[in-house]
Amino acid sequence: MTTWEPPAPALSVRQVLALERVLAGEPEVVAGAGRLDRPVRWVHVAEAPDVGVMLSGGEMVLTTGVLLTGDEDKQTEYVRSLHRAEASAVVLGLGRAFPAPPEAMRRAAERCDLPLVVLHRPFPFAQLTEEVQSRLVRRKFAAVSLSEAVRTELTALITTGAPLQRLLDEVARHSGCPVVVANVAHRVLGTAGERPAVDDVLRDWERVARQAGAGEGDGWIRAELGGRGERWGSIVLCGYRGDTATGRLLADRAAEALVLHRMLGGTAPTWEEQSAQGLLTDLVSGTVPAGHLLPRARAAGLPVNRRTFVPLVVRGGDAARLDRVLRLLGLPGIAAELAGTATAVLLSLARDQDADALAAHFAARLRAEPGAAPVVVAAAGARTSFDEVPAGLREARHVADAVADSAAALGLPPVVRLRDVHLRGLVRLLRDDPQVQSFAERELDGLLGEPDEDLLSVLRTYLATGRNKSRTAQLHHVSRPALYRRLEAIQARLGVDLDDFEQAASVHIALLAHDAQQR
Amino acid sequence: MSRVIRAAVFQTAWTGDRESMIQVHEQAARDAAAQGAQVLCFQELFYGPYFCQVQDPAFYAYAERIPDGPVVRRFQALARELGIVLVLPMYEEEQPGVLYNTAAVIDADGSYLGKYRKTHIPQVKGFWEKFYFRPGNSGWPVFDTAAGRIGVYICYDRHFPEGWRALGLAGAEIVFNPSATSRGLSGYLWQLEQPAAAVANEYFVGAINRVGVEEYGDNDFYGTSYFVDPEARFAGEPASDKETELVVRDLDLAKLREVRDRWQFYRDRAPGAYGPLTAP
Repeated sequence: MTTWEPPAPALSVRQVLALERVLAGEPEVVAGAGRLDRPVRWVHVAEAPDVGVMLSGGEMVLTTGVLLTGDEDKQTEYVRSLHRAEASAVVLGLGRAFPAPPEAMRRAAERCDLPLVVLHRPFPFAQLTEEVQSRLVRRKFAAVSLSEAVRTELTALITTGAPLQRLLDEVARHSGCPVVVANVAHRVLGTAGERPAVDDVLRDWERVARQAGAGEGDGWIRAELGGRGERWGSIVLCGYRGDTATGRLLADRAAEALVLHRMLGGTAPTWEEQSAQGLLTDLVSGTVPAGHLLPRARAAGLPVNRRTFVPLVVRGGDAARLDRVLRLLGLPGIAAELAGTATAVLLSLARDQDADALAAHFAARLRAEPGAAPVVVAAAGARTSFDEVPAGLREARHVADAVADSAAALGLPPVVRLRDVHLRGLVRLLRDDPQVQSFAERELDGLLGEPDEDLLSVLRTYLATGRNKSRTAQLHHVSRPALYRRLEAIQARLGVDLDDFEQAASVHIALLAHDAQQR
Repeated sequence: MSRVIRAAVFQTAWTGDRESMIQVHEQAARDAAAQGAQVLCFQELFYGPYFCQVQDPAFYAYAERIPDGPVVRRFQALARELGIVLVLPMYEEEQPGVLYNTAAVIDADGSYLGKYRKTHIPQVKGFWEKFYFRPGNSGWPVFDTAAGRIGVYICYDRHFPEGWRALGLAGAEIVFNPSATSRGLSGYLWQLEQPAAAVANEYFVGAINRVGVEEYGDNDFYGTSYFVDPEARFAGEPASDKETELVVRDLDLAKLREVRDRWQFYRDRAPGAYGPLTAP
């Protein structure tokens, strides 16, 4: 992967004067020496005394002054008109009309801070215009081709269904600086660029977001995202080092692509969801220390100062549903699907709030939603340090996984905790032990080879309910006699007596170990 | 020294009938109280649709007596049970044919503190309010509640700086601005006017707007309710622009003194020069 080098900034007056061909004319700046960094947009040769009306700003005007000789008022007015037209400089070739820099023009130029340059040696203006014009055209062409290249790349990514992150990575590769996408509330939805630089930006995001766009001179270039009369947010190049025009072009192309991406998104997860998912996945995985994720969490809208964090993992509810309930209850938190079928929720509560009560409140409202699928809400103890959040999320996921197979049969509390998972929690921790695995295989041998999955499921429910026959029959929608027949078949195949506590316990542990390996 | 008030606002969509709408708001009050909120304000005309999109006398039936009507009584009991201050923007009937767009304020012990009647009544497409309401005559009351000194300024009122200032002069610490406003019309004003009022008058503002499109017109109510502090900083993010949401925020009222010590707007105002503002 090659990093694109931004083209040199627009030619300045100083740079034009330093061109080899121009040096041959022995240029001397006689006024406005402090303004030599003005950009030169075009070079224009003009002898007309009223040249000012023909200009549109940014021109370097070349003249011999042949129509200005002998009239100081005219000379002064000539310089003033160029100043009013926002010309970038005036270059006077000496010899033809003026043997020396005319004092009236010098004074006028100094007064309005317009660079006045005299050329001491005769110099063909055509050479200068050709040189500068071709450089400017090359620059413009480079900008157009960059614009096209970026547009083509981003469009290609969009049509292949690439996620937001891929687009942002591409923009960051071109810009060579951190790139941030935020919604209108300044919540960060995506970032790209080198991690330490991005973290520096995010650390101070709230302040930065309010200021970015105030001035583009320092390389902070923002483009608005919106469509159909709505503004969604903005993309910001944070500290772009090339020239502003190129940065603006990049930001605009990126903004167009993002708008297209969002409009074509359809049912894909929203940017907000993708952002929460990235954050929670990184937290759970532990690959990045939690402390390093703090700026991202704050920028994603999660309050992090003096808060209590409640890690939850929910089975049976998708992130959009959980997010809706969080909003309904006014609970600050983020929700996102983890790999597998679980959704993580991280609540951020004020220190005086009752974490357990609010987790229970959340679980109760989730269950009370009309027509919603049954859910299991697993929680770890509340954490007051963000560093402990990953361990908490892993604990909650462990709890949710441990009860996943028998949630209906277990008679679980509204919020399940480590203390509620008892033996199945322990077995889950030991699931990768080869001896435990061979124990499970041995104990369940008679059932595992059979295609009749129903018997395994009945056995699971029967043991999870504490060998409660009527509850098992009810949960499987079968009559008592039908259940008895199944239990007899199970006992025959396994060669055990399930009324014997130790034999039943052994089969139960084996089944828990077997199930734990399946996830 | 900090004095933190946990304040809440609630935005929601029209459910289709009055009773379920009331129940949604009762649940919101319970949810807010579960979080320890000390004060909660609902949206404008909270238990009805925004019927001012049409001009139909049938909607006069939504008006109730304040405080003697059933809705106020019901929420007084709830406020007492939950220990929360409630601001109830609703349609008021003083007597048949004398109707106002009003907000009743209930203290945390359930007692009725008084009401504010909307002063400025719009009459434009989609907001035919003059058909339904007389201009308010309550002046600019500020209510001394268990959660601080509270003022109310309803919807269209917010475009007029004079009322904001009057509430500030009367000592308001938090001013709620319950609204029903539509995306195409006021989107560009929504995060400009109330923060500006908060800065100019050096108090907190809680802005509430309902969500969704209702069956009586095209108005697309865009939610995004929020609290903003006297430095125009949003307390947390504004709410969703489409979904029901309870917004609960901790507001440190010590900020008022801090900002007023820095900017002496109340000292330096020149009421003697404002005569032309009150000339008829």
